Amino acid sequence: MKTKSKAGRIIFSIFLWAYAVFSLYPLVWMIFYSFKNNQEIFVTNPYGIPTTFRWENYVNAWNKYDVPTYFFNSILVATGTVIITLLCALLFSYATCRMEFKGRGALAILVSTGMFIPVQAILIPLVKIVQGLQLSDTRWSLILPYVAINLAFSTMVYHGFLKGIPLELEEAACIDGANIYQTFFKIIAPLVRPATATLAIYVFLAAWNEFILANVLVGSNAALKTLPLGVLFFQGQFTTDWGGMGATMVIASLPAILIYIIFSDKVEKAMTIGGAVKG
Amino acid sequence: MAIACFTLPALIIFVTFVFIPIIQVFIYSFTKWNGISGAVFTGLANYMRLFTDNLFYTSNKNMIIFAVIVTVYQMILATIFALAVSNTKIKARKFFRVAYFIPVVLSVTVVCQLWLSIFNTESGLFNQILKSMGIDFRQNWLSDRYKSIYVIAFVNAWQWMGYQFALICAGIKSISTDYYEAAQIDGATTVVAHRKITIPLLAETYKSCLVIAITGGIKAFTEMFIMTKGGPGTSTYTLAYMMYSAAFRSKEYGYGLASASILVLECLMAIVVINALFKKSEADVVKTRKFRIRKEKTA
Amino acid sequence: MKKRLLSVLLAATMAASLMAGCGSQTTTTTDTSAAGVAETESTKESGDKVKLSIYAQYADDDTRIPYDYAVEQLAKEYPNVELELIVQSQDDGMTLSTLAASNNLPDIFQAGTEIINSLRETNQVMILNDVAKETGFEDKVYDSCKELLYADDGNIYAFPYAGQEYVLWYYNKAIFKACGLEVPKTYEELLKCIEVFNSSGITPMSMFGQEGWVTTAMYDAIATRYTAGGIKDLDEGKAQITDQAYVDAANTMSQLVNAGMFSADVSNTNYDQASALFLERGAAMFLNGQWYIEDATKALGEDVGWMYYPAPDEASYEAGKTVFAGGGSTSGYAVNPDSENAELAAEVAAFISEKYCEAKVLYRSNPLVAVDTGVTAETELTPMMQELSDVIPTITSTTKFTWGLTNSIFNTGIMDQTKFLLSTQYTADEFVEEMDSVIKRMND
Repeated sequence: MKTKSKAGRIIFSIFLWAYAVFSLYPLVWMIFYSFKNNQEIFVTNPYGIPTTFRWENYVNAWNKYDVPTYFFNSILVATGTVIITLLCALLFSYATCRMEFKGRGALAILVSTGMFIPVQAILIPLVKIVQGLQLSDTRWSLILPYVAINLAFSTMVYHGFLKGIPLELEEAACIDGANIYQTFFKIIAPLVRPATATLAIYVFLAAWNEFILANVLVGSNAALKTLPLGVLFFQGQFTTDWGGMGATMVIASLPAILIYIIFSDKVEKAMTIGGAVKG
Repeated sequence: MAIACFTLPALIIFVTFVFIPIIQVFIYSFTKWNGISGAVFTGLANYMRLFTDNLFYTSNKNMIIFAVIVTVYQMILATIFALAVSNTKIKARKFFRVAYFIPVVLSVTVVCQLWLSIFNTESGLFNQILKSMGIDFRQNWLSDRYKSIYVIAFVNAWQWMGYQFALICAGIKSISTDYYEAAQIDGATTVVAHRKITIPLLAETYKSCLVIAITGGIKAFTEMFIMTKGGPGTSTYTLAYMMYSAAFRSKEYGYGLASASILVLECLMAIVVINALFKKSEADVVKTRKFRIRKEKTA
Repeated sequence: MKKRLLSVLLAATMAASLMAGCGSQTTTTTDTSAAGVAETESTKESGDKVKLSIYAQYADDDTRIPYDYAVEQLAKEYPNVELELIVQSQDDGMTLSTLAASNNLPDIFQAGTEIINSLRETNQVMILNDVAKETGFEDKVYDSCKELLYADDGNIYAFPYAGQEYVLWYYNKAIFKACGLEVPKTYEELLKCIEVFNSSGITPMSMFGQEGWVTTAMYDAIATRYTAGGIKDLDEGKAQITDQAYVDAANTMSQLVNAGMFSADVSNTNYDQASALFLERGAAMFLNGQWYIEDATKALGEDVGWMYYPAPDEASYEAGKTVFAGGGSTSGYAVNPDSENAELAAEVAAFISEKYCEAKVLYRSNPLVAVDTGVTAETELTPMMQELSDVIPTITSTTKFTWGLTNSIFNTGIMDQTKFLLSTQYTADEFVEEMDSVIKRMND
């Protein structure tokens, strides 16, 4: 495989670097932002390094709400959501992709409707159901709706991956006398690891950053609140403490970024193992 | 038995927490209701009103613009970057992989604030750069009645490109290297190899990406809510924004749910169209595979 | 290896379920302790803590200081009551209506006119007439604010703390002087000022056009120069948008916009941006409520003042001096009648509203509160507040802020459409046409 010309390669490489800067700058900007006050953010110095580092934004955030508790809740809810979503989604898409039964196509489309509906539209009925099931004031009141919402996307991605896997492997396993559960866990689960790794990040972030449902479902229970709810303490009817918001958002997203960076190595590994099994 | 074991966990959770609410959305879309007190059945009145509401047309137009921009931007760039990162010859691949994904990890609020400030007419970075390059193209990017929707769509496309990128990367990883070896024997260049092998084999991944991009565009809400509040005036309303505004600001919950129902139907239509389009390409994939098997046999 | 993965999954799921279980247990225990409380008086004597949930604004100084003060005072007066704060989110009431729809309202909540009206239909808001009498709250409300206490059916549904409030047209005296300009009385003079400011690189008026309430206030300030009822009459169905006065107002606003009264980015400028521009002396004028007096005086001192709104001609300018845009609203702390401690919650709500007023007078130098608490600010009134206080007795007519409007369809329509009117690409005709269809719909 040859690339056409040297010049082309250099231009391409410049483009790659430029876009990387374009993607990373907001991260830097957010950190700068979290050390500024409104005046600096909007009038005097919107883009550069803060003239004075206002650590009080962080102190404020730390004092206004219980950061460790919120953080702990976010971790629990996001992790729980990831595990349950991926397990359910893979099982489900394996069934709709590989097993022969009536209406499997309809089932797949049914679940995909979850992707379309804006959460504001189902907010009221959803809250009523959560209450009806006596889930209010537990972390399940967040985890289960998050799972339900993320299922649509996850099953779709798994479905796509499973379709790309040749049937021969399963047929071979079948001949060796493996039952369907063994085939699923021994053959299929490892094969879709690249998808699992990607989805894990996706679902984790979706649960980690979710605001609307969290606000309505656990907003009244300080012990169960998650990190995104911290911004409420800075957003007034008229005025907003943007620096404090910035600090809150750094507190909320830095762990996610760190988790991603740490995890992305694992993702890479997962992908190569998955690839090595081959299709 | 096995079918039940495999499908029920997902189905029970999904039906309870999403599907039953969706059914209720459809039911309430036929009523006049303020969200709190009793609902009154009004038949098709909400839908009839939708079709005479200027906002409904604005919202649909914006939705199409949004979906097209998001899809085109994300699919093209995500493909290029994913191929680049999977090429072992490119230096700093690990860094690129993390960098391109970072916007996804950031909070939408931060991203919107950043772009708001960049696109500011007077002090914004963008107009200043244009000016310093001597280009007289100063624009009211976000306060223009006709242009602001494009800018917002760009911001959305930019932020979520990383997802498509990660999905395509994962897709590429699952392609066997045999294909490329075969192509190498044939003396194909990288670009040709990707066009002939990678992209057709990724048909299923692309289908997922396309669905994400289009449905993401159709249900776009947060960017408008933070950046323009649907403005100037009502010119950046989308169906999701219209639903929110009708249900919670005007307290016409039934009417809002009618636009949400239309939104769901439009998404379903998009899925059906995408499925039909990809039926054709699936046939191509099968062909490629047969080609490989033949090669192996001859070798 | 796969088995290990599976067992990890299972272990993690179980761990997660345990954690969630803990959460549920602790809350159920608090529930039972609250359920055991029957009589408010008896609990006062016994040492049991009663938890009351309260939905309130708690973000900036204007909301945080009164709340913290009220909580501090509450601890002295009602030591057995503990408040659990739910911070209000800026989501157009979405959270509150969802809580109401699912019968999950907090014990005490801040509510505006519209939401109270919807909750009345389903009996989800407590009638506070008796509590207002017993606690003496009713008697302490200023005469000028009595109308804010009673809803249109004569009942009390919320304890107000904000008094009559006004839209003020702030201006920077120093900038006007530097440009050699007089305070404009007519639109003609205002247009001239706009021209001068623009040519000297000053934004004529700083405006947070992302917020519908202030663009509505702008339109209202103009409309009240043509007809005293302003948007209030439209909201109550007493006038039509197609009436000449309202069409003229739209044309005037459009004319000002096209003359360059606002910055190009006005439609996505937020409050903090617009305020910073005015306080940094980058803009000559600014529109906001009278609650801004404190902040403006702090930053600009003697240089800031407020002017009467300009009018089409001098005669209407003089006549309009007693007509202000803005006004009070029947809003404040309401109580959930289904609360297990509804009676106590009502008492606490009255107490908190009163303490809010106290805090606003003492620490926010804002004497325009609903309740006469008997305290006076230690510092003197700012010149702008003094001037306003002198004028208030002569005021003959006020309108409404958007949160005091009664019809949500009109409210949404007027906010969106006045925001649109700030665009040079939108015409007054389009505005009138769209508003006309909004008003037709609200009468359906």
